[in-house]
Amino acid sequence: MHLQRPLRVSCFAACLILTALCAALPAAAQTAAQTVPQTAAADIVFRNATVMTASHGTILKGSVWVYAGKIAGVGITVDAPASATVVDATNMWLTPGIIDPHSHSALDSDINEATSPVTPSMHMIDAFDNRSADLYRALAGGVTTELLLHGSANMIGGQAVVIKNKFGFDRDAMLFPNAPGSIKFASGENPKRVYGSRDQLPSTRMGNFEVMRMAFEDAKHYMADWDAYDAKVKKGDKDASVPKRDLKLEALADVLRGKLYVQIHCYRADEFLTEEAMAHEYGYKIRAFHHALEMYKVAEKIAADQTAIATFSDWWGFKDEAWDAIPWNAVMSMRKGVKVALKSDSDDHIRRLNSEAGKMVHYGGATEDEAIRMVTLNPAWIIGVDDRTGSIDVGKDADLVLWNHDPLSNYARAQKVYIDGDLFFDATLPGLGTTHFNGVMHDGGGFGSDDEEDGQ
Amino acid sequence: MNFSDSRFSKTGCPTLAAPLFLRLGWVRTLCSLLALLTASAALFAADTPAPKVIAITGGKLLTVSHGTIENGVLILADGKIAAIGEAGKVTIPTGAQIVDAKGLTVYPGLIDPETNFGLTEISADQMSNDLEERSDEIMPHMHVYDAFHSETELIPVARLNGVTNAVVAPSTGDTIAGQDIFIQLYGRDRDDMIMGRDVALAMNYGAEQRRRGGRGAGASSFPSTRMGLITQLRQNFLDAQDYLAKRDAPAKKDDAKTDDSKKGEAKKDDAKKDEKAKRDLKMEALIPYLKGERPVVIGVYEGYDVEVVMGLAQEFHLKVILNHVTGTQDILDRIASYHVPVIIGSIYDSPRAGERFDAVFTLPAELAKRGVKIAISSADAGGPASSHSSRNLPYAAGFAVAYGLPYDEALKAITQNVADMFGFGDKLGSLDVGKMANVVIANGDPLDVRTDVKQVYIQGVAIPMVSRQTRLRDEYSNKQ
Repeated sequence: MHLQRPLRVSCFAACLILTALCAALPAAAQTAAQTVPQTAAADIVFRNATVMTASHGTILKGSVWVYAGKIAGVGITVDAPASATVVDATNMWLTPGIIDPHSHSALDSDINEATSPVTPSMHMIDAFDNRSADLYRALAGGVTTELLLHGSANMIGGQAVVIKNKFGFDRDAMLFPNAPGSIKFASGENPKRVYGSRDQLPSTRMGNFEVMRMAFEDAKHYMADWDAYDAKVKKGDKDASVPKRDLKLEALADVLRGKLYVQIHCYRADEFLTEEAMAHEYGYKIRAFHHALEMYKVAEKIAADQTAIATFSDWWGFKDEAWDAIPWNAVMSMRKGVKVALKSDSDDHIRRLNSEAGKMVHYGGATEDEAIRMVTLNPAWIIGVDDRTGSIDVGKDADLVLWNHDPLSNYARAQKVYIDGDLFFDATLPGLGTTHFNGVMHDGGGFGSDDEEDGQ
Repeated sequence: MNFSDSRFSKTGCPTLAAPLFLRLGWVRTLCSLLALLTASAALFAADTPAPKVIAITGGKLLTVSHGTIENGVLILADGKIAAIGEAGKVTIPTGAQIVDAKGLTVYPGLIDPETNFGLTEISADQMSNDLEERSDEIMPHMHVYDAFHSETELIPVARLNGVTNAVVAPSTGDTIAGQDIFIQLYGRDRDDMIMGRDVALAMNYGAEQRRRGGRGAGASSFPSTRMGLITQLRQNFLDAQDYLAKRDAPAKKDDAKTDDSKKGEAKKDDAKKDEKAKRDLKMEALIPYLKGERPVVIGVYEGYDVEVVMGLAQEFHLKVILNHVTGTQDILDRIASYHVPVIIGSIYDSPRAGERFDAVFTLPAELAKRGVKIAISSADAGGPASSHSSRNLPYAAGFAVAYGLPYDEALKAITQNVADMFGFGDKLGSLDVGKMANVVIANGDPLDVRTDVKQVYIQGVAIPMVSRQTRLRDEYSNKQ
């Protein structure tokens, strides 16, 4: 851990649940439901908190009622039954759980399958280590949901996994049930460095983008073969020969079919424009640009495509394509209509995303509401789970963090962290403060950024 | 802007080499010439408008040395703090420029105890880096001032958040990496910005230090292990002691003779001998540190590594500043017993698996509680200094407050304590009369991430609050 900081090249591509996984997930979720202690249907009510809802402002001396893992009420008063367990939150702040839309935690060193610039059939779930200490530390920082992404070595990386940070639960029980799938793409310096250093394609940005186009052409051809076959079968042709099933092309086809959210590691303004043009050409949508340090230069254009960004608060200068990074990027882009999230791409920053959001008050004058949204509701949207988490609204999952201080300041410490209404972390407990974890934690190793294992 | 501290010669003669030089007449002449040149450079600098007398009024003054003054007046004149006190008790000189700081907080410029300012521009761009010499583990004769690029874009970025001074050290791959400089983050050129050359020796020890032979089994050359690194260090310090003894011995013999013979002759002899002796710059570089004249900053993470390297340091009576120490939770009392100052960085380093999440966050508080004089650096998690993040220095201190460090101690840990450790305690670090007018005005608590710095003064000069980043911001804010 004390090596010089590696080049921060992050990549992106994150995706959640892949094709194969899409099929497997409901089953996995079911299993989880059977093996994991069920959230008690008991009522909890937080009283007298400063409630930062992320969706409808801050309620002073507010209450939040949780029932059966969901938020049942929020306001100055709530209709919780008298039998509810009361949490006195006087002088404390209550926020939605922090959501990180770009993490490589709990993947050991298996972040980049840097053996080909196109690896869409990699599934991060296959590397997910649910006993990683990084998950615990993130939990202690109030993080309840993470998008675990492939690294940035490849133009088209692998498919992400969405977890709820129920540290101590089974692997399956930590998966976010029925979260949409995402796939990580990358661009710029990382792919060209990784493959260029081996005298392979790509070694330039020209090569980078052409690799993508060639992959999509392959996918279109593959889809046409299957369409033709399906048409024959439909017509009753029993002799039609079945095309070969190809995991890589199947995954790319899912991109073209719009089944996967496309999450792109991308720094430079020109590359945002190229990526959008390519998405238009091949008919998919880009859910978010990650890092996106130059978004402030072209935000109006990207806003029109409804692509969000997941960016660093103030990292800069770690490589050429991060040279024009400015800490006002997030707020400037937001003011021009881009949905903005902050993310960690780091096992360190994931522990304090709340105060990274606080920096946005300083850099550009974000309101408290806007700032807290950058680490809750907006990243939830990027992941595609904003209908279930990311704000304190009735009907949403009770993913909540109780803080001892204003969470936008660096004085704040998470006191209690709830996921689906279940307490997973309590800072006042002796020892680790965990409530469900037993056994041995694993060291994550590295910094959890997607640059570090990209084949350098 | 000129520094009168003779300890930190601006003539280009490394301070540590001066005694030897001065015995050689021609060198003395050269040095005088250089001194003259420096003096004329200072005159030239005086052509730029002299800093006005500035009165900062109505602000909340965090003095660091004598508490908080709620409604205070601070007078800056001739680059120094001329007066400080409660409103009404300080006379505002006629003609002073009044800066209304009502509702604002005023505090001394922050000092980052470990940076790579001027040694790096873009981390991944090798040609923009002069971080460390990789040819050997023992490189005390590497002088940061030879590489310091004062026009770096990183410095304006950091000073916009109130960092006015910093230690610049080489990177941490070598067990002895070179010698640090102490800078201020404003000036017309390198000489204006370097306040002290060779202010400390940068040492490092532990798992990650470079071993020429590679590490562990299969290594082909020495050193490849911790044993090898320590033995190599010990041998080098012994060699330097021998070198010093040999260098000074003939002179002493001659001195004895001199009593009975003509002084002039003896001097001639002496000069002759010195001309013959070849100077070993590497050995020379270690001498001030062996004499305990200047501090050795030892970067070390793990508790047992601290114990080993402190053993070596005590053997050679080094004046130690410990750095990093983020894996030392088990030996905090031992660290306190060394009675050496400690730089903690990064406070964001990871604890070990199985340790409580805040095992590192609480270190500043735990050490301060044990009476250790602490500083906090802006180092990023998992690595040594990253000057790109130096602007986050106050937030690291604030984070330490969140985990139990008293607020006043936190502020000291990025101001007065750093100045003290590196020999600038009488010039910097607090709002006191006679100190350099390095002052920051912000719209709130300096340690809180939400606070916006409004104005920075370095030696009484209001620094333009711009950087490459503000220029980009403004350019694209206005672009249609």
